[in-house]
Amino acid sequence: MRLLPSFMKSILITGANGGIGQACARAFLADHPDNHVFLACRHGRAGAEAVVEAFPDRARVVTLDVTSAGSWDKAVAEVMAVTGRVDVLVNNAGAHQDGLLAVMPMEHWDEVIATCLTGTFLGCRAVLKIMMGQRTGRIINVASLSALLAPAGQTNYAAAKAGVVALTQSLAKETARAGITVNAICPGYIRTEALGNDPAALAELAKRVPARRLGTPEEVAGLVLYLAGEPAGYVTGSVIKMDGGIL
Amino acid sequence: MTPPLLQEIKEMLVEELMLQVTAAEISDEMPLFGPEGLGLDSVDALQLVVALEKRFGLKMSDGEAAKGILSSVSTMAAAITASQPGA
Repeated sequence: MRLLPSFMKSILITGANGGIGQACARAFLADHPDNHVFLACRHGRAGAEAVVEAFPDRARVVTLDVTSAGSWDKAVAEVMAVTGRVDVLVNNAGAHQDGLLAVMPMEHWDEVIATCLTGTFLGCRAVLKIMMGQRTGRIINVASLSALLAPAGQTNYAAAKAGVVALTQSLAKETARAGITVNAICPGYIRTEALGNDPAALAELAKRVPARRLGTPEEVAGLVLYLAGEPAGYVTGSVIKMDGGIL
Repeated sequence: MTPPLLQEIKEMLVEELMLQVTAAEISDEMPLFGPEGLGLDSVDALQLVVALEKRFGLKMSDGEAAKGILSSVSTMAAAITASQPGA
């Protein structure tokens, strides 16, 4: 079954140089020959550029600092100049600065809140009027299992991602009438660069998961693709965890 | 008979905001917001601002001015007419 209706073709993904961002981009590009994907990155573009090399006519890297409203304006203007619309926004950019709150430097708090929470707010705001004009749109916010579990050592990250969950639920109520859905996903341990490459450590991590394995970026992308598609038109304000059964 | 612009605005209201009334049931001076009128809310207002700009090229950057323009079908029609070149 094709997931994207024919009108959906312009997809903007933040944090697109990371494993989940790249997997989402590839999934959208493989799903329909009309889809155009904009891979938004701040630093490091090698992974995103590899996607563009594979799909040179329909994929493009755009420079974006998710914490800057001006940067969002430029990136969205670039998308509009190419496709004239924004059908899907995947707010996937994130940042970790783990540590105990009692000794957490202010800048570690600020950086994580700015990237994860303010970045999501700015992204939604940058595309909303466009989507309202289209009377259709899909926003998928990549939160984290940490938003629901709130582990020690992640007060900044857990608070930011819980904020993303609440933002998603509130915004969904504001936009439902305009045909725009807003959903959040909460991935658990996903095999990406964020978990490192030490096989012993990864195996140890997998033991903590009831499914006894780590999730893959492609599995996250599959859920994102579903939420962006026609069958999910009535799904909004939802928070979907994918964690192999941890919670 | 309703002038074409007023009729177009009423049809836009029904279509864009998915109202449960027909265009014919909306009078020119009916308040759009509040219990005495159509009962629109702030979410509808934002959608209306986007629709008016898209359909009629009417830009509303000032919140106070927007409040006046969005009072009724008549006030929207007046603002659209005033914003047309040569008005």
